[in-house]
Amino acid sequence: MLMPPFELHRPSTVEEACSLAAKLIESGQDFDWIAGGTDLIPNYKWHINTKPHVISLAGIDGVSTISMNEIGCMARLHDIAEGGDAHPLVAEAASKVASSLIRRNATLGGNLCLDTRCFWYNQAEEWRSSIDWCHKCDCGTGSDCRVIPNQNELCVATYQGDVAPTLMVLDATVHLIGPNGARSVLLHDFYQLDGMTRNILQPGEFMLKITLPEDVEDWTGSYRKLRVRESWDFPEAGAAAAWKKGDRSTLRVATTALESIPRRHDEEVANSNGDVKAICDAIYKSTKPVNNTALPPRYRRNMIKVLVKRACEE
Amino acid sequence: MVGEEHVSMIPAAPSEVWSAEVNGQNQEVLAPSNAILLDVLRDKAGCLGVKRGCDMGTCGCCTVLIDGEPRLSCLTMAQDAAGCSITTVEGLADGAHLAPIQQCFADHGGSQCGFCTPGFLITSQALLTKNSNPTDKEVACAIEGNLCRCTGYQQIIESIQAAAAIHRGESESARPASDAHPDPHPSGPEEPTMPPGHAR
Ligand SMILES: Cc1cc2nc3c(=O)[nH]c(=O)nc-3n(C[C@H](O)[C@H](O)[C@H](O)COP(=O)(O)OP(=O)(O)OC[C@H]3O[C@@H](n4cnc5c(N)ncnc54)[C@H](O)[C@@H]3O)c2cc1C
Ligand code: SF4
Ligand code: FES
Ligand code: FES
Repeated sequence: MLMPPFELHRPSTVEEACSLAAKLIESGQDFDWIAGGTDLIPNYKWHINTKPHVISLAGIDGVSTISMNEIGCMARLHDIAEGGDAHPLVAEAASKVASSLIRRNATLGGNLCLDTRCFWYNQAEEWRSSIDWCHKCDCGTGSDCRVIPNQNELCVATYQGDVAPTLMVLDATVHLIGPNGARSVLLHDFYQLDGMTRNILQPGEFMLKITLPEDVEDWTGSYRKLRVRESWDFPEAGAAAAWKKGDRSTLRVATTALESIPRRHDEEVANSNGDVKAICDAIYKSTKPVNNTALPPRYRRNMIKVLVKRACEE
Repeated sequence: MVGEEHVSMIPAAPSEVWSAEVNGQNQEVLAPSNAILLDVLRDKAGCLGVKRGCDMGTCGCCTVLIDGEPRLSCLTMAQDAAGCSITTVEGLADGAHLAPIQQCFADHGGSQCGFCTPGFLITSQALLTKNSNPTDKEVACAIEGNLCRCTGYQQIIESIQAAAAIHRGESESARPASDAHPDPHPSGPEEPTMPPGHAR
């Protein structure tokens, strides 16, 4: 397929990346970041929301460290899953992303900043033109959303990343950097409930690394994923749970692939007095997937009870 | 060799010199900055063994070895592979003598229509280089990103296991590289003469 005509920039330091971003913003030119490219390149080949400039993070040194308490944005999922340096839960979640070939390109930063997906949107240009586009990539036509019709304010495309819920239950912090300086937020405050804005990244800002708390080694749990085929399908629903070894009262649960953001369910867990069945029911009640992925939303919603139960198993 | 630039009808990204070692030979070509490795290998370096299946990362037909690691060339920016050593399916054989993995695919029915074969050969070669004694489960995990519509995968797993036995020295290649099997191209394969993008 024909790549859209963009210019690729390859800064070699974080500072260079920030000043490049600042320069492009100043001159009014739009751009995207690219890490491993396994999400951005397919979208670009389909001419979905392409930009005239793309800045690659691949040439930057020192942003792919992997350790128990810190993972750089350019750490490849393959190395996280198989290198033996990451937390076992993070390695488990990474090993469930896509296929072994894709994981050799895919990075953690790209996985956490993954574009939201929708079957009216992740399609070839001709296909989307035949349905007169949709709000998320309306090509200037002001089209409505195809999932929630008669409105073009909201996009409910689904976040289908696998690693975020595990990092959320381990209380990960994301470190962002941009032309206006650096800041850090908890991963569960990083996402924004809208299929188009997706997260709190400001123009020119990118994710530098994630860090995990000091005592993360003492935490255990698991990640469960519903997918059509085992080999490489995106999650249709996913649940991660973690608790401090020997202390079930610390249980935390997070889900993914059910709405536009992955979500941590602190309230549902707090109200259930540690009863797993009650947690499952509460999460079932509070999640409302829509019809925009491969499997029907009712099935995905029912399955979340099963996935949460299995993720909480000791 | 520096290729010629096409006069294109759509706005083109600026071109740069791209160089890498492809199948042991230094390649230097002019490629636009937005080029994908698959396009550079097929259209500029003449490696038509790298197949474009889905162009989206799902089928594995475009797999090549970058510094010994199997990677999807359709999802790799050419710039990210610049300066690396790239092996395509054309680089597996030793002259006219097939690598064990290629011979085993031929002998055990691992290839039917053949479209997926270059990708499978590269992925399995990478597996065998790392682990010459894989279990069937390890083989299945290694080839999970390669799709085949013909064989049903069983013959492919058998071919890989047969090649693994040769790598371990437990069995001999049907036609080992040291035999007197005559080389049909004594002077080596000819340089590609067709314009880029056309089958030889
Ligand atoms: C066939 C196929 C199957 C897949 N299956 C799965 C799956 O099962 N589970 C899953 O989770 N994913 C899946 N993916 C999606 C993707 O491969 C992974 O999510 C991967 O981790 C994305 O990382 P990347 O480095 O390739 O991202 P890129 O494509 O480089 O980037 C993705 C997005 O994040 C932005 N971005 C990247 N890095 C940063 C950063 N450091 N700071 C700010 N923004 C950034 C980019 O601008 C882009 O919008 C699949 C993809 C394919 C093609
Ligand atoms: S949810 Fe609506 S606006 Fe968003 S991608 Fe799907 S159809 Fe388009
Ligand atoms: S062509 Fe690259 S995976 Fe299909
Ligand atoms: S042999 Fe035909 S697709 Fe595999």
